[in-house]
Amino acid sequence: MDAHTATPGVAAALRPPRWLLPALAVAIGYYVAARLGMAFTLHPHSISTLWPPNALLLAALLLTAGRDWWWLLLAALPGHIAAELQSGVPTVMVLGWYASNCSEALIGASLLRIFVRGVPRLDSLRDTGILLLTAALAAPVFSTFIDAALVRLIGWGTSTYWDLVSTRLFSNALAALMVVPLILAWAAWLAAGPAKMRGARYAEAAALFSGLLAVCLLAFAMPHSDAHTAPAVFYAPLPFLLWAAVRFGPLGVVSALPAMAVATIWGTVHGLGPFTTETPQDTAREMQLFLITASVPLLLLAVALAERSRIERESRSQLTHLSRVAMLGELSGGIAHELNQPLTAILANAQAAQHFLANKPGERAILSEILQDIILADKRAGDVIDRLRAMFKRGETRTEALDPNRLVRDVMSLAHGDMTTRGIEVVPRLAASLPEIRGDRIQLQQVILNLIVNAADAMSMCAPNDRLLTVHTLATKGRVHINVIDRGPGFTVASEILFEAFYTTKPQGLGLGLSISKSIVSAHGGRLRAVTRKGGGAAFLITLPALARRP
Amino acid sequence: MSIARANVTVVDDDVLVLRSLDRLLQSAGFEVEVFSSPKDFLEKRTANPAGCIVMDLSMPGISGLELQQALFGTRDGRPVVFISGQGSVPASVQAMKAGAIDFLTKPIDEAQLLGAVRVALDKDRAARGQRAEQAAITACLAALTPREREVLAGVVAGKLNKQIAAELGTAEKTIKVHRARMMRKMAVDSVAELVRLWTLTQPPQA
Repeated sequence: MDAHTATPGVAAALRPPRWLLPALAVAIGYYVAARLGMAFTLHPHSISTLWPPNALLLAALLLTAGRDWWWLLLAALPGHIAAELQSGVPTVMVLGWYASNCSEALIGASLLRIFVRGVPRLDSLRDTGILLLTAALAAPVFSTFIDAALVRLIGWGTSTYWDLVSTRLFSNALAALMVVPLILAWAAWLAAGPAKMRGARYAEAAALFSGLLAVCLLAFAMPHSDAHTAPAVFYAPLPFLLWAAVRFGPLGVVSALPAMAVATIWGTVHGLGPFTTETPQDTAREMQLFLITASVPLLLLAVALAERSRIERESRSQLTHLSRVAMLGELSGGIAHELNQPLTAILANAQAAQHFLANKPGERAILSEILQDIILADKRAGDVIDRLRAMFKRGETRTEALDPNRLVRDVMSLAHGDMTTRGIEVVPRLAASLPEIRGDRIQLQQVILNLIVNAADAMSMCAPNDRLLTVHTLATKGRVHINVIDRGPGFTVASEILFEAFYTTKPQGLGLGLSISKSIVSAHGGRLRAVTRKGGGAAFLITLPALARRP
Repeated sequence: MSIARANVTVVDDDVLVLRSLDRLLQSAGFEVEVFSSPKDFLEKRTANPAGCIVMDLSMPGISGLELQQALFGTRDGRPVVFISGQGSVPASVQAMKAGAIDFLTKPIDEAQLLGAVRVALDKDRAARGQRAEQAAITACLAALTPREREVLAGVVAGKLNKQIAAELGTAEKTIKVHRARMMRKMAVDSVAELVRLWTLTQPPQA
């Protein structure tokens, strides 16, 4: 597979020909974008203030493998002709513009592909920087020269070459700035599998966007008789844009910026708002420059924030993985025991079978029983290895609906060998019916395993009859509880200290287990608490939000 | 000598392992009895059986070593063969010190297991024979009169009839009569044989 096939899920999930749906989307999208661009035209001036079709085409190319580009470019042609022919432009000029529009998309996408592998990510400052320099700067600049030259060559209109260049440059650059990140961000969001948002989050997004639109309309689309404009007017949308950047990241900003642009352009096109100068060219340029200068820093701010939280997330995930591997290392003796058991059974069964074959060859029933047990033992060894491999794997966080009891049982079987060699009896007290929870299976297993191993460590000095470890699951209203209870000496420090990083009572301990466990549980919207029990021993209580749906 | 039919008792918490060992030992011709938990074993075992015990060292609840200790408190003197998923040196040393026949690591070599079981059964048989003889001697001793027992003590201590008579304050002739009766009751012909039987009844000196 080459590096360019990293198309998002939307395109990748298609049956052959895989370019068909993207091509259709481009054809329709291009037409709509062109009509939209025409609506943004500042009359009587003939050039649109924001011309999105080129940027849409560019984004589509970025999302597609290089070998499919031609299909997409071809698909844009009908949309282009359908849109342009309505405006009474000569066919030659229509085709000329098609060529220059395609050239912008091609230049931008090709330049980007040189520097960025796959689809540019909006949680990487490097990718976004290159995206701005290529798609929003280099591509409009180069294609504008071609465009203006074609217009002059064909002899359409009366504008001078440099007039054409400057108007089209800003129009195309602004469009690229608004449209390309918008499409990339939403495509990435779709490809990642849309995360479930809580109602409060939707409400916040709705408040943000309606507030932003209202402010933009007030500032940029109200009748503006006064020649003087208070500078504060231009900053009016800023709080909302910052809100979008901080709370909703790049996705929020790339969605908020076009909303502001559309409101502003709509106002300006209708002769409203502060951008009114003597010539339409100047009006358009002032508005475009305002939008560009407002957008770039906000976009970069959101990306920088997203990048920081991504790096934090990655290093936390590395640390989580490391502590998991360290814990499995501690369990290695027990795991060897866990594998040795089925191996012992297989060997003894096979040898017994040899004896039976030699001494009582007629007895088929016993042989079939033996083979059945060998299969069982082999499967059990396979299960141990599967579980182990899953725990060792370093993967992205994957959330899915999980059965809490099954989580506990899986962990118990992984720890079984270790518990047995330490002479600890693990007593499961699992609720008969529990609602499911939502989370990352491996991480939650890591938490439970960590608590079980800690509990076992705490009971190493107990009398044999007291080495009882209870794992208790139960449900209360909207919550699922997983409690790990030991009969050890309990703890003497305040329970918050237990969860601090690098606090440990074990000679070989790193002191990371509980602190990581707590952060895993918190990331799942739950709580991890520790209490000393009255009768002796400690209890670690995991509380997780239950999924509404009953299994 | 009649002893109960030798059987091998297997205690392992892992049912798959338990079944496989059951089959292996049966296929080698042993009578096998299995228990899947130490508790089960302690509750359901027969009182004073012949045979040996093959048990897992690490089991939940009571470990093999603890079970071995628990058996010392009872009259169950069967030899123990330990099997273990991982041979930790301290555990094996402790087990062997406490009189285990062998300490085998899983997966178990068939020849080693069967060899250890045979050694354990031989040892059990020998110990059982010895115990039966002891019981017979104890029965003979119980049949002696107090005076005969005093005479026996003197004879075993290597004293002459004259010395014994002096100590007990009777005539030498009377002692001779007691002595002859005592020898007959103990079913021995010589003093050497009497001494051997006597030492068998004595608790071993540490």
